[in-house]
Amino acid sequence: MQALIMALKSISGNKMRSFLTMLGIIIGVMAIVVLIAIGQGANAGVVSNIEQMGTNLLTINLSQRRSNPVTLEKLQGLSQEAGIAHVAPTTSSRGSLKAGLITYDDASLIGTVPGYDSIRNWSLRSGRFITQPDLDNRSFVAVVGQEVAVELFGSVNALGQSFSFQGYSFQVVGVLDEIGSSMAGSGDNIVIIPFTLAERLFGAKGISTFYVSAQSADLVSTAEASVTAYMDRLISAASSSTTYSIYNQSAMLESLNSVTNTLTLMLGGIAGISLLVGGIGIMNIMLVSVSERTREIGIRKAIGASRRNILSQFLIESLVVSLLGGLIGLALSFLLVDLLMPILQMTITVSPVIAAAAVAFSMIIGVVFGLYPANKASALRPIEALRFE
Amino acid sequence: MIILNNIVKTYRMGEETIHALNHVSLKVDDAEYLAVTGASGSGKSTLMNIIGCLDVPDSGEYLLAQKDVSRLKGSQLARVRSREIGFVFQGFNLLNRLSALENVELPLIYQRVARKERRERAQEMLNLTGLSDRAHHRPNQLSGGQQQRVAIARALVSRPKLILADEPTGNLDSKTGEELMDLFDRLHQEGNTIVLITHDASVAARAQRCVHIVDGEISAATETEEEN
Repeated sequence: MQALIMALKSISGNKMRSFLTMLGIIIGVMAIVVLIAIGQGANAGVVSNIEQMGTNLLTINLSQRRSNPVTLEKLQGLSQEAGIAHVAPTTSSRGSLKAGLITYDDASLIGTVPGYDSIRNWSLRSGRFITQPDLDNRSFVAVVGQEVAVELFGSVNALGQSFSFQGYSFQVVGVLDEIGSSMAGSGDNIVIIPFTLAERLFGAKGISTFYVSAQSADLVSTAEASVTAYMDRLISAASSSTTYSIYNQSAMLESLNSVTNTLTLMLGGIAGISLLVGGIGIMNIMLVSVSERTREIGIRKAIGASRRNILSQFLIESLVVSLLGGLIGLALSFLLVDLLMPILQMTITVSPVIAAAAVAFSMIIGVVFGLYPANKASALRPIEALRFE
Repeated sequence: MIILNNIVKTYRMGEETIHALNHVSLKVDDAEYLAVTGASGSGKSTLMNIIGCLDVPDSGEYLLAQKDVSRLKGSQLARVRSREIGFVFQGFNLLNRLSALENVELPLIYQRVARKERRERAQEMLNLTGLSDRAHHRPNQLSGGQQQRVAIARALVSRPKLILADEPTGNLDSKTGEELMDLFDRLHQEGNTIVLITHDASVAARAQRCVHIVDGEISAATETEEEN
């Protein structure tokens, strides 16, 4: 405690020098905190984009050669396999919709089955999703995205309204919540209709794409194995030459994560170097301070200070400089992050772990680079130190 | 209080070996007031360093308060300096960043005395040396005589067995020097053991006893009669 007061006194005794010494640490800590925060912000952006699509999602693409053995009926067995929650084939098309005098050209029509909404983590704003009876009866019903609802009917409250597509009249039975645009490109311009009806309207035979959701994110690989086994059985039973590929969302997420993590680490490492340079600055100034205060050290030793007393005095001084620098740097990096957020147009948050780590690192720097000067001071012989002018 | 037996201390200066102290033996009794005189280069500073436990002899024995301190290591010497010895230097050697009171407190900090007691004892010493109203002045706001009084207060605050003064009046004018010597007289009367190192005969004359060092040896001790 007394040593701390002494350290503060000697630091404030030479404000300009102490500030310049601290500046190295301030900039170092700021660089580390801000760069890592940006890295993590970018990572979080990508991750949330992917997670929006569902981390337990598998996408299976089939390449159709001659006869495609995969049909809606044959796929139904898959949902009983281990690890699998939902199975939903899709077939899609683009087209224009009409409601009264209004035309909407950008519609993305998707024919699918019940359960697709939960696979894609969609929720309904009003009404219901496609049901099994819709599928069985090939009903002319549709669930529309928000943009479609607003464009066609002037409000999101489009339930019960009808529109026409290729001359067929559809009734809106549900409106989706806002999805937003994501990497999958599926925005709010979608129109969901029963798969069986879509097959007919789009003239597509067989299934070219279907989605599978695992029961949980941990079971993705189990689900993937189930799909592989099931598909292999299906294809060989039909002795078809159809091939398929499984696109694993969570694997994708992992690889993206590792890329951004590497990037973040690299940024942090570069920033760490600047902190190291700041530490060398501390050592430099501490050495100057020790030789300037040789006489003081002699006096202190003559009146009873032990080697350890002197060592801890100088060590605490460098620790206080580096810790103050670290804290100021941290405070400034919060400001800088607030400033950068609108410019970079992303959400950057300084994680408490990184903040604590940066301050801890600056303290370690203070101790490590203070040790040599402090030791030098403590090793001074009192007679020689007293003789020093 | 102090028993020095055959103390030898040599320094190497390049090729030359300097016998700073050559078989010096000296005894100082409890509550004695001894002056050590000698020309510069006579070895009196070396003697002071050894008596003050700032240095250890090459050979010989040094008993301070019945304890052999001639073979102690750095941290043990620091402890002896802290507990047993109060220094008064020619150049005052106060820390300019600290107030008079804080300077006096310093030895107690190294003895881990609690803050409140430290304050009280330091203030008490300043009162004793007549500086009660200067406690919060910095050394550079004080006159030379006042600074030396602060230094004496600092030397006394840890209640040392021995007060070791090295040319305490060297940087002071003769009137202030006189006043300071009066203070030493008073400390002596109060029962403190004082060793005073000086080259000034008139200062040395104030002591109870005076020894003279020439070329690292104590010459026939010129015992001055007690004046008080």
